[in-house]
Amino acid sequence: MMKLTVEEESMLAGKRGYPIQKSMEILVQLGEIYGAQKMIKISSVHMPGASVVVAGEAGTKFVEKMAGQQGQFCVLTTLNPGAVNFDAWRETGYSEETYRLQRRLTNAYEAMGGIACHTCTPYFIGSCPRRGEHIAWGESSAIAFANSVLGAFTNREGGPSALAAALTGCVPEYGYHLAENRHGHIQINVRAKLDGIDDFGAMGYWAGSLAGSKVPVFTGISDPSTDELKMLGAALASSGAVALFHVVGVTPEAPTCEAAFGGRKPEQVLDFEASQLADAKRSLNKQDGQEISVVCIGCPHTSIAEIGEIALGLKDKKVKSRVELWVLTALPMRALAERCGYTKIIEAAGGRFVIDTCPILSPMAELAKKKQYTALATNSAKLAHYAPGQWALPTYYGSLQTCLNAAITGKFDQ
Amino acid sequence: MEKILRGRKVVGGKSKGVALVTTEPICFLGGVDVKTGMITEVGHPLKGKCMAGKVLVFPTGKGSTGGSYLIYEAVSNGVGPCAMINRSVEQVTAIGCIIAEVPMVDSVNPDAIEAIKDGDLVEVNADEGIITVTSA
Repeated sequence: MMKLTVEEESMLAGKRGYPIQKSMEILVQLGEIYGAQKMIKISSVHMPGASVVVAGEAGTKFVEKMAGQQGQFCVLTTLNPGAVNFDAWRETGYSEETYRLQRRLTNAYEAMGGIACHTCTPYFIGSCPRRGEHIAWGESSAIAFANSVLGAFTNREGGPSALAAALTGCVPEYGYHLAENRHGHIQINVRAKLDGIDDFGAMGYWAGSLAGSKVPVFTGISDPSTDELKMLGAALASSGAVALFHVVGVTPEAPTCEAAFGGRKPEQVLDFEASQLADAKRSLNKQDGQEISVVCIGCPHTSIAEIGEIALGLKDKKVKSRVELWVLTALPMRALAERCGYTKIIEAAGGRFVIDTCPILSPMAELAKKKQYTALATNSAKLAHYAPGQWALPTYYGSLQTCLNAAITGKFDQ
Repeated sequence: MEKILRGRKVVGGKSKGVALVTTEPICFLGGVDVKTGMITEVGHPLKGKCMAGKVLVFPTGKGSTGGSYLIYEAVSNGVGPCAMINRSVEQVTAIGCIIAEVPMVDSVNPDAIEAIKDGDLVEVNADEGIITVTSA
């Protein structure tokens, strides 16, 4: 049984209204499932279930009910991508029905104080927790980044528990909130040479299915970029339920291999060789033929560095007439791209910025049918994992340069 | 033939249905169509099967944290499982079962994935952690 403070007891008893009472019920039930002793305060929430593709009509009504009964978020709460790009949903091809339902859901979150940034990379745009900070984040890729790269402490929050945490400012103390649960289980010695986010994504995809919900520790990776680590986490959390990984000599809780494992022996030691990298890439390419109709870059949302690379690759080039090139990012990042002159280059080449949403959290199957897309190309292992189920489209996977070439020629060539 | 398995209550309640069993983790975003209840993940052993009204037996959840609301949406659409059994429940699935009020049991002895076969009639008394299996 959890020990609640007097204040928490009164919240559970309904003395502070329905939204807080219902939230406490969810959190207490969750705490009891996982054997938590008490609640702990959190300092930020990143809200999954911010898209109507996920929340649906039922989830939207649930969030609206909380807002309607004067629920108010008491910590910094950022919203994950929604189901449409608000500024140009019609041009992108989303239906009015989706737009209207999304507007309702976003309005309800905003009424409670949510920041409608609608991005999966809140750490790039103003919610960047420090090491050891307790937070309640959803969005599997953002959880992996916050836990692993930033060293903040979060479990894998689903929509309703993140909502409950935002309304009460607390979560049950279990799992990754406890230092003793943050040590590694599986050691992966990286022997393959990794170059670019597609290599890191392929490795994460391979390792995630082996790790499940355990903590993998990578050795032999030197000097990865922030975007490569972002993709590693996103891929680990797609094929598995990985919420935390360590890279020895790189991430904050892994100054040494011993520290990463907390002095314990790894349960398993594996090598990741060039042959495994090639196999992982092949398993992400679920296609026949090579004609493509849409290229997506930015899953997770692109950083300003990635947008700069895209602009460089598209300078004085043209995207093939029947092909679409999507650059997915957050609203502030697009503003910055404009300031840097990247937007002009990308749009002149025929590329399109898509903000507020992403291919996984928008109704892409519907859009693909309407626009008669035949195949998708991406440099994201996460998207290459989800697209075949979510879009029912053949999917190509390769480097940024390969994907840009595919957009220019209309053909995917490794 | 009837056998009794014992597990741990995750979300209380009682339910009865035909088993749908897999050795692979399930992701409720992209892996399941919440309008029809069909499993859609390419390469998943359950692809093309329907979870509506079934007792869904799988090792654990994986992938997107959107899964919680999708379980709720599937149940609201009348195509959710009537109960779930996991080896070890993962948080996103647990929260989905809490708000959708789907009885859920985990840590079953003997192992539910070994002991329960597709098509078996399964009665889940999650309050007591008791699972009664009648072989098909």
